[in-house]
Amino acid sequence: MGIDISRLRRQFGQFAALDDVSLTIADGEFVAVLGPSGSGKTSLLRILAGLDQPDAGSVYRDDEDLLALDARRRGVGLVFQHYALFPHMTVAQNVAFGLRVRPWRLRPRASVVKARVEELLRRVELESFASRYPAQLSGGQRQRVALARALAIEPRLLLLDEPFGALDAQVRVNLRRWLREFHRSLGITTLFVTHDQEEALEMADRVVVMNRGRIEQIGTPEQIYRYPATPFASRFIARGQPLPGDVEGGILRVLGHAWPISGFATDGVSVITVHVRPEDIVPVVQRREGWSANVLSVRPVAGTIRVGLHVAGLDEPLEAEWSERDWLRHRVEVGETIGVHFQSLTLFGSDGEGRVHARTEVHPPHGTSPITVGPWRRLEA
Amino acid sequence: MAAVSAMVSIGGRPSWSIRVARVFLVVAAVIVLAWLLVLPLIAIFAEAFRQGWAFYRDAISQPDSIAAVRLTLTVAAIAVPLNVVFGLAAAWTMTHFNFPGKALLGALIDLPFSVSPVVAGMMLILVYGKYGWLGSWLEAHGVQVIFAVPGLVLATVFVTLPFVARELIPLMQAQGSEQEEAALTLGASGWQIFFRVTLPRVRWALLYGVLLCNARAMGEFGAVYVVSGHLRGLTNTLPLQVDQLYQENFSAAFAVASLLALLTVLTLGIKRLLEWRHGEALTGR
Repeated sequence: MGIDISRLRRQFGQFAALDDVSLTIADGEFVAVLGPSGSGKTSLLRILAGLDQPDAGSVYRDDEDLLALDARRRGVGLVFQHYALFPHMTVAQNVAFGLRVRPWRLRPRASVVKARVEELLRRVELESFASRYPAQLSGGQRQRVALARALAIEPRLLLLDEPFGALDAQVRVNLRRWLREFHRSLGITTLFVTHDQEEALEMADRVVVMNRGRIEQIGTPEQIYRYPATPFASRFIARGQPLPGDVEGGILRVLGHAWPISGFATDGVSVITVHVRPEDIVPVVQRREGWSANVLSVRPVAGTIRVGLHVAGLDEPLEAEWSERDWLRHRVEVGETIGVHFQSLTLFGSDGEGRVHARTEVHPPHGTSPITVGPWRRLEA
Repeated sequence: MAAVSAMVSIGGRPSWSIRVARVFLVVAAVIVLAWLLVLPLIAIFAEAFRQGWAFYRDAISQPDSIAAVRLTLTVAAIAVPLNVVFGLAAAWTMTHFNFPGKALLGALIDLPFSVSPVVAGMMLILVYGKYGWLGSWLEAHGVQVIFAVPGLVLATVFVTLPFVARELIPLMQAQGSEQEEAALTLGASGWQIFFRVTLPRVRWALLYGVLLCNARAMGEFGAVYVVSGHLRGLTNTLPLQVDQLYQENFSAAFAVASLLALLTVLTLGIKRLLEWRHGEALTGR
C-alpha cells in the first residue's frame, strides 16, 4: 500500500511548482527526490507534511485521504535542512515536545515520556547530550536531534528536507551511511529531497528526478544512472554532455562521423539530443582513429583524473573522467593533441515541448580496421 | 579626513593622527551627551532637593501628587498590556502572512511616531468630544471619554502603539517560521505553538518593547494634555501635575518631576541590564 500521490498541481502565480506529479511509495521504502533548486521538490515535501495545500490532486496513505488531515494530525515527521530545533529547550525537551503537546487524554505519563526520550537519544547516539542546548551541539548532532524529535511522534511517514545540506563534507558522508543503516533498522517509509546526485544515488532505494515541477524519471539508482530517460536526467545525474548530432534515414551523424542505427523512431520528433558521459570518452592510442581532441586541463580529483578536452567542431569543452590507475600508465599533458573515442552515446528524440518520444544507447564502432585502444581504457559494456 | 579614517579603521595598528582623531571624537561625544542629557538630569534632582528633604517629602506626598502617581500607573497598566497584545498580533501578521495592504498596515503602525501628540489629542476630541462624532451618543449612554480616564488611556495607547510591534517585527522576520512549522508537524495546537515556541523566542525583545512602551506611557505629555482637562486629583497624570505645579510652586514642580525622572532612569537601567545579559537574543540571532 504505502503512499499514493496522484496528479498533484501547485501553482504560485505564473510559476508551476508542481505540474501533474504522481508517485507511489511502498511501505518502508526509502525514496529520494532529486532535482535542482526550483524543481518543486520542496513544494512536494511541504504538501505531504501539510504545510501547504495543492491546487489539484490527491494524496492517500492506504485508504486515508492525507490532504483532508491538517498538519498536526497527519503523523508525518519532518526534518528541516536547518534543523529548526527549539533553541530555548534542551535536547531532551526538544525530543519530548511532540509527546508533551498531545491532548491530555493521549498524553503519555511523564515517566513514559522520559523513557521514550532516552530510548530515542540512545538510538541517535546522543544519550549523554540530553541536557545540552542546541547551540552547544555540532551540525551533525543537531541534525540527529531533529531526527529523534521527528521520530518521537511515531510517524508513519518521515520526510527529510536536504538533511545534509548544511553540513561539511566529512560529516555529511558519515551521517549519510549512518542514516541508511538507521532506516534499515526502523523501516519507516522515508522520502528525502536533495539536489546532490551522489547522495540520492548512494542512499535511496528509488530516485525520483524532478525538473521544473515535473517528474522526469523514477527508478532505482542503477537504472537512472545507466539509462536516463530524458536529456535533463542524463545531464543532471549521469553528467551527460551534449554533442551536436542528427538522425536522418536511420543514420546518426556526430561531428563528421556517421553510423546506421536501429530502434529509434523519429515520428513526432523535432529535436535530437546526443549526450556522452565523462567516463565514456576514452583516449585511443592511434591518433587517426576517433575524434581529434586538444587537452586543455588535467585535474586529479579523489582517485580519478578529470581531463578537459577541446574536440574539433565543438564550442564547449568536454570533460572526460579516467581512473588514476589508467592515467599513471599513460599520461597525457596539457597542450597535447590526442585521439578520443566515444564508447557510448545516449540519443534522445523530443518534440517541441521537450517530451521525449524515443531514446536509445548507441555504441559507435571503431571504424573499419581493428584498432588498438590504449591499455588503460575502461573495459566496460 | 582623519576623523573619517578613525571611523573606518577597525583593528590593525592605528597611526598617530588616527589615534588623536579617536580621542577627539570620544571626548566630543561625551561632552555633548553630558551637556544635553546628564547635566539637565542632575539639575532636576538638585532643584528638587534644594529646599531640603522635608520639603521634598511634603511636595511628593501631597494628595494631588499621590493621585497623579496613581493615575499615571493606572493608565500605564491599561495601555501597556493593550499594546503588548496589539504589538504581538501585528508583528505576527506582518511577518507570517502576505496580504494586500501589508505595506499600508506597516505605515499605519508607524503613524503615531510621525503624528504630533497634540494632533493625536485633537483627533480624539474630534471623535469622542462633546461635539464629536460619537460624543452625543456616548453622553446619552452615560460614558465620558474626554476629560476622564478613558480619554487618557486612549491617548496613551495611540501614542505608544508602535513600540512593541516595531521591536518584534525585525526579530520575527529574521527568525522565520520554520520552528513554528516544526511544532505544527509535531502535533502542537496554535496556542501551544504560540506559548511554547514563539513567545519564548521573542521574550527579550518583547520585554524591551514593553519597557520602552512603559516609559513613554508614563511620560506622555502632549496628547494627554489635550484630553485631560487638568482636574487636579482626578485627571492629572504626573507630567501634567508637574506642568501645573511649575506655574505655582517652582521647587514642588521639580520634586514631582524628579519622580518621573527616576522612573525613566530605572527603565533605562533595566534596558541596559537586558542588553548586557541578552544582547544576542535581542539582535535576532
